[in-house]
This record gives sequence, C-alpha cells and structure tokens, in this order.
Amino acid sequence: MVNLLVEKRRRKLSVKLMSVLIAVVTVCVILVPVIAYFSGGWFAYWGHALLAIFFSVVVVLIRTRYCWEED
Amino acid sequence: MAPPIPEATPELTVGVIMAIALFLAVSILLGFLMRKKAKGFEEWLVGHGDLGPLVTGFALVASYLSGWAIFGNAGLGYVYGWSGSWLIGTTCVMGMALCLVIGYRMRRYVALGARTVPEMLRVRFESRLVQALAGLAMIILLIVYSVGQYKAMATVWTITTGTPFYGSLVATAILILVYLAVGGYTGTQWVSGFQGVLLTVVGWALGIATLVWAGGPTKIAESIGTQLFIKPGGAQTEIPLGDYTLPLPPLEGLAFPGVDYIGVTAAIFMFLFMATGFPHNIARFLGARKITKREYWMMLLILIVGGLTPLWIGVVGFSARAVWGGALMVEEYKPMYGDSAAVYASISAGGVPLASLFAASVFAAAVASLAGMVMIMATNITRDLIHNAFPKASPKKLLALTKVMLVPFIAIPLWWTFTSPPPILSEFMAGSAVAQAGIFFFVVGVSMYWKRATKWGATAATVYGLIITFFHPNAYGKLVGLYHWGYWALVLMFGSALVYVLTSLLTKPLPENKLNILFPERNR
Repeated sequence: MVNLLVEKRRRKLSVKLMSVLIAVVTVCVILVPVIAYFSGGWFAYWGHALLAIFFSVVVVLIRTRYCWEED
Repeated sequence: MAPPIPEATPELTVGVIMAIALFLAVSILLGFLMRKKAKGFEEWLVGHGDLGPLVTGFALVASYLSGWAIFGNAGLGYVYGWSGSWLIGTTCVMGMALCLVIGYRMRRYVALGARTVPEMLRVRFESRLVQALAGLAMIILLIVYSVGQYKAMATVWTITTGTPFYGSLVATAILILVYLAVGGYTGTQWVSGFQGVLLTVVGWALGIATLVWAGGPTKIAESIGTQLFIKPGGAQTEIPLGDYTLPLPPLEGLAFPGVDYIGVTAAIFMFLFMATGFPHNIARFLGARKITKREYWMMLLILIVGGLTPLWIGVVGFSARAVWGGALMVEEYKPMYGDSAAVYASISAGGVPLASLFAASVFAAAVASLAGMVMIMATNITRDLIHNAFPKASPKKLLALTKVMLVPFIAIPLWWTFTSPPPILSEFMAGSAVAQAGIFFFVVGVSMYWKRATKWGATAATVYGLIITFFHPNAYGKLVGLYHWGYWALVLMFGSALVYVLTSLLTKPLPENKLNILFPERNR
C-alpha cells in the first residue's frame, strides 16, 4: 500500500517535471523572434543557436528520461 | 582595400577536379564494400538494421545539409544581410533534435515490413492509397528541391573551372549519372555518414576562415549595418540590411520570408517541422539499430555539431558582403548572383586547398542529395505506385524500371534549372521545404505516436498540403491574392495540421487489435 502511494507520488512528480520541461522548450521557441527584435546582429545570430542547443538538450532529456521506449 | 573578386585559374580547376575525384573514390569504395554485404534490393534499401549512432547521426546530418545549407546559406547572408538568417536556419538544431526524438520509432515499422517512408505509411494505416499519395507528393516536392541542388553544383563548377553556367549544368547531370552508375549511392548510410563528416569539417573551417579574412565579427557587423539591399540585376534600393527584418516593397517583396515577423514566425515553424518532414531525412532511422540512452546523447552531440554548419556557411555570406559589398548582384554574375558568394569567398580566404575542399563538399551535398532524391523518386514510381497497384509484378522488372526512371528524374529538374534558374536558390527551395514540413511532419511523424490518426486524416492532409503548395506567392498565389510568404506557409503547415486532426477525429481508426501491434505497451 505504502509502495503504491510512493509510486503514485513519483508519477505525479514526473508528469509535473515533464510539463515544466515542455514549457521550457516552448519558451525557447518564443524567445527566438524576441531576441532578434530586441538585440540583433551577432548576438541574435549565435543567441538563436544557443537557444536551439538548449531546446535540443531538453527535448532529448524528456525523451530519455520520461518517454524512453525499448523495442 | 578589399581583395579583388578572384577568377578561375588552372591550379584551381585541377584542385577542384582532384578533390571531387577523391570524394567519388571514397564514396565508391564505401558503396562497393557495403554492396557486397547487401543480399537483395530490400536489404540494399535499409541495410541490416545494424547501424549505430555515429553513422546514423552523420548520415542524418548529411541528408539535412543539402545544397541549400552548405552553399545557398552564404547567398542568403550575402543578399539579405541579417534578415537572411531566418532561411539560413539559426534554429535548425531544434528541428533536428525533434527529428531525433520522433524518428527513432521508424525502426518499429521496419520490423513490420516497411522499407521506405511511404511503405511505413501503408503499414501504419493499412492503406495503399496513403502509400501511393505520399509517393506522389514526394515526387512533386523533391523535383522542386532538386532544382536547387543543380544550381548549387553548377555555380561551383562555373566559377572554379570557367565553364559557362549552362555547360556546368550539363556537367552536373553527367556527374550524377557517373555517381549513380558507379554505385556511389549503394552504400547509402555509410556514404552519407562520410559526407556528414566532410560537410561539417569543411563548413566550420570555411566559416571560421572567412570570419578572419573579413576582419572579424565586429568589422563584419559594422559593414552590414551600413549597406543597402540590392536586387538581383543590380538595382539599388534604400532598404538597410542591418535589421532582422527586411521591409521589401509589396507586393513582390512579400514573397521573402524575412519581410516581417509573420514571415519570421512561419520560417521558425518551418525549421521546427522540416527535419522530421523531409522523407529522405527521417528515412535514415530505417537502417538504425537499437540504441542506448547514452548513444542517444551521442547522436544529439553529432546533430548539434553538424547542425551548426549551416550557420557557419551563413557567416561566409556575411563576410563576403562585408568585403565586396553588393558587387556580386550585378548583371555580370547572372544567374548566380549572391549564390556565388561562397565560392568566391572560399577561393579568396582559403586559396586552392580550401576552395577545392569546399567544391567537393558542395558536390557531396548537392550531387549526392540529388542522386539520393532521384533514387527516391524512381522508387516512388516503382514501389509505391506500380508495385502498389500490381503487387504481383516481377521484382526484376521493377528493378529494371527503377533504373530507367532515373533518366526522367535527372532530366526534369535539369530542364527546369536550364530554362528558369532561381535567383536565390535557398529562397526557392524553402517553398518545397514548407510543403514537406507541413505534410510529412504530421502524416509521418505525428502518426507514429497518435493512435487516433486515420488514413483519411493522412490523405486529407496530404491533398490539402499539395493544393496549397501550388499557391506559393511566386507560383499561383497571386491569382488568389496570396502574396505573403508567411501567411502562405502558416496556412499550409497549420492548415495541414488542422485538416489532419479534424479528419482523423471524424473518421474511424484501425481496430484496437491492429493498433496494439503498432503501439505496444511501453516498457520503461
């Protein structure tokens, strides 16, 4: 019974964390035009690349940690 | 004082021919070694399903980096300044990462008998109609995409050998035939993996070399900030290049994605969806083996390093603009215009060695992509249309027909480029990219995860996407008042998504027992 409750809590926490990570990747996409508008030049150019790298790390984290599937 | 725009020399011509010959030799060797291993046509298409993260990762990089990314991006940076960044794809790593997390499931369909992307759709929806339609859509969109590859390679050949542009186009077609005839495409994944490494190394090296050659980032930014947009042909405007949007005058100017933030938004979504939407990209997972979490991260690292290559090619364009101003936009450089910036900059910044390596890289990206696409289109005809309609057709005859079909699929885009070469090739190719992103991201990518998707949803989205494609602002969009690239692209991508979801929800999915095979319970 205790194990079940612990498992349930762990799952809830996982879903919450995953939701936070999905929100983070969404913010990454939104920030792309915002950075271009407010900064420009090389800062925006490589800033976009950094945002894209951060985005990709987070989506792979979601995949490997929360949505991993074996054959 | 700015260095003069270089001209072809005998040393350069020899260097380029040697570099291309060396690339061909390595590709043929790899193709030959892998061909020995493949026992039949099916095994040739997907290998043994035993390719690890290194080869799969670099093959994915190579299939993504076509003539657009490795060559055309310099043209974008050169012609449009910072606003060209939206088509350079500063965020393309996002899309590649999405392809990585979505595409891995393709392996499941290989186990169920699929060998190509349209076949995967037949398995997913148990529908020959969806397979045939996807094959047809791929043919139409890949022909457009092939035009850009022709222009890329022909431009390099023209500048480095002094051959007239139209002669270079014929030379490119001959090179493709040679490449296909000697089996350069046979080793698919291995050859692609090798190309991925080559493109990444040369792209980074060229970007860094031209950055130094042009006097460093600050000087480049200052120079671009003072320059004005020049139309292909040499007409000067009063529109400054120093901003991330380029307010080109309506109505013609609205066809440029960076014209305003509507276009910018559409370009961002195009890059998010297109790596997964490119059938030749996601197909790379068909030959992959089971990979561990650690290997998954390794693949991501490869995609990040490879995915930054297009940005370095963009830097080449900015550097060339800073050094030579708008000199390449005049009539003398027709029909290459700003697309020639990368080649001239590679000669000026790196001399014969770097220019030769760059030419081999463009050859790798353009000709190998073209050869790959020609093969895919020919296979679409034989496997997805003819074999689909006549399942008892002889495999030998189908294989022979595939070889015959290579000729028209080499000739059609050649004729197109011959009669109306696009002024800025990446801008032209983006039209096809939007359609591939809008159709296949959902029909292929999402369908692998969404159980409720139906064959009618996939069919409706494909038909819708194809119809809207023809209303591109530079095609038939003007007839219905669709002049704005951003609105067109958003209507295509999100319209496809909406049609796909709504039609799927209104129609019946596969029975539960069949879906259970495609979507087994997940093991953690």
